[in-house]
Amino acid sequence: MAELVLRDQEGVGAVGGSERGILQRLRDTRELGIAVVAIAMFVFLAIVRTDTFLTTNNLIGVAQRISLLTIIAVGMTFVMISGEIDLSVGSMYGLLAIGLSEMLVTWGWNPILAMPVIILAGVALGFINGFITTTFGIPSFIVTLGMLALLRGVTLTWIRTPPFGRVGGWFDRIFGGYVWEIPAQVFWMVGVVIIAAWVLSQTRFGYHVYATGGNPQAAANAGIDIRRVKIACFMILGGLTALASCILIGWLHGVSRNHGTGYELDVIAAVVIGGTFLFGGAGSVVGTFLGATITGLLTNGLILLGFEQDTEQIAKGAVIILAVSLDTWIRRRQRIA
Amino acid sequence: MAEQVRSSIAADGADRRDTPLLEARGICKSFLHVQALQDVNFRVYPGEIVALVGDNGAGKSTLMKVLCGAHHADRGEIFIEGRPVTIRNPHDAQALGIAVVYQDLALVNQRDVASNVFLGREPKRGFGVVDKPRMVRESRQVLQRLKINIPSVYAQVGLLSGGQRQAVAIARAIHQGGRLIFMDEPTAALGVQEQAKVLKLIEDLKAEGTAVVVVSHNLQHVFDVADRIVVMRGGRNAGERIKSETTPEEIVRLIVGADRIRAAEVA
Repeated sequence: MAELVLRDQEGVGAVGGSERGILQRLRDTRELGIAVVAIAMFVFLAIVRTDTFLTTNNLIGVAQRISLLTIIAVGMTFVMISGEIDLSVGSMYGLLAIGLSEMLVTWGWNPILAMPVIILAGVALGFINGFITTTFGIPSFIVTLGMLALLRGVTLTWIRTPPFGRVGGWFDRIFGGYVWEIPAQVFWMVGVVIIAAWVLSQTRFGYHVYATGGNPQAAANAGIDIRRVKIACFMILGGLTALASCILIGWLHGVSRNHGTGYELDVIAAVVIGGTFLFGGAGSVVGTFLGATITGLLTNGLILLGFEQDTEQIAKGAVIILAVSLDTWIRRRQRIA
Repeated sequence: MAEQVRSSIAADGADRRDTPLLEARGICKSFLHVQALQDVNFRVYPGEIVALVGDNGAGKSTLMKVLCGAHHADRGEIFIEGRPVTIRNPHDAQALGIAVVYQDLALVNQRDVASNVFLGREPKRGFGVVDKPRMVRESRQVLQRLKINIPSVYAQVGLLSGGQRQAVAIARAIHQGGRLIFMDEPTAALGVQEQAKVLKLIEDLKAEGTAVVVVSHNLQHVFDVADRIVVMRGGRNAGERIKSETTPEEIVRLIVGADRIRAAEVA
């Protein structure tokens, strides 16, 4: 009876109603807004540069770059929602990629051994970042800034001549191959996005990531081990960076010693353009995918429109500032409302 | 003076026949060289609203933190329904039915109401997947039970008013199975209308049989809701009064110390 009464009131009552709150709608529209921008850019380029943009080769190239960026940026999304940041991701990308290349080419390791080793190495580097940050209470900004320099230094000291060589076989096929005209990277990206989106939005761990970034004190009071959550996020980023390294080597068969320099900016740009809050507590994997798509189209578009490559930096920087300003402005208005 | 206080507590205890829901005896706690609590006694009966008042540094927050597991007492005993218990951390306190609503509410502003009600205790459906439908259902039920007016359990907590946010924090405490809820300055950050709503909510909790301890500076609100007023001063019990048998003037005197008032009058 009491049940019935409750349910009865639910439809009309003050608490009930099936309306998705304002937040839900805003969050949905935010992702929708980002999607609209991405589609608008695509359509614009398709119209203005039909002959160069809408070619199979160009689109495949764009998709390959967006895919790698998305995979790493998804990891960064976890870290940033948990209220931290990882600036070492570009150096980590370089070290893991060239390390894998060294194992496969110079040492002649079987990829079945080299691949798990590199994935573990990525996870371990993430663990180190997370462990130092949470144990000593140093801002991750500083810890990972140190790691940015340190890991690049390790790469440059260790590798004098970057190895280059085709591994061949299943390794090249699963990371650098094509199904119909679609490059393997795209499938990896889709898989990563689906699994990560599910983990972040549906699982208990995902809920705890949002709580940890949103209000660490409250999360800790509620019994959430925020230290473990943050370390896990750094480890996820490390693992995904290692996955991207495998894909890269399977595709390009080698990288330069400076690979990944400045890449942290592209990754963070993709994440914040995708609507993840710079100070944690809000964001989404799908948003990050859309953010990566926007930066990918921006880079490609500027080249196709005949701008010098150096202007890319200007455009990217401006877009980051614009995206964060817009986001902060929207959030401030929400808070006041 | 101390003798008198102790005897008055004893006399008050004698005419209550039921066992206290929570009783603390001889609680001592010091931080480095500061003796924050000295031999403090404290009781709460089922369905009672107790106000814990005192000046800054009187030890009321420290006492609250000891009883809800955030601090560990150096000495003293704690009883729940007459049984001795050890409270080492917030989990222990929670398991004993003690919940806290912190002054800053400890809510995650970016998350919705249902996620906040279940913060840290999200139910699972298997594979680690959170049972959101259940969270929505139970959040609605607890809000409805408390007659709390929230636009939607999907609403982002940061978008709610101060009073609504307070209500969500209280709903969480209730949903945790709290039989005794500590509220740290529940009205401090609110507008006048919202203050009234929260006070009403505290009375509703009492009507449901939940005991509430209100830690507050606001004597007017204390007199609006409390059944009993416990005063602390300098880390000790300074007195304890049934609301109907005291006046705000007397409570103020207990808070600042009667001798000091007399000294001031003489001067």
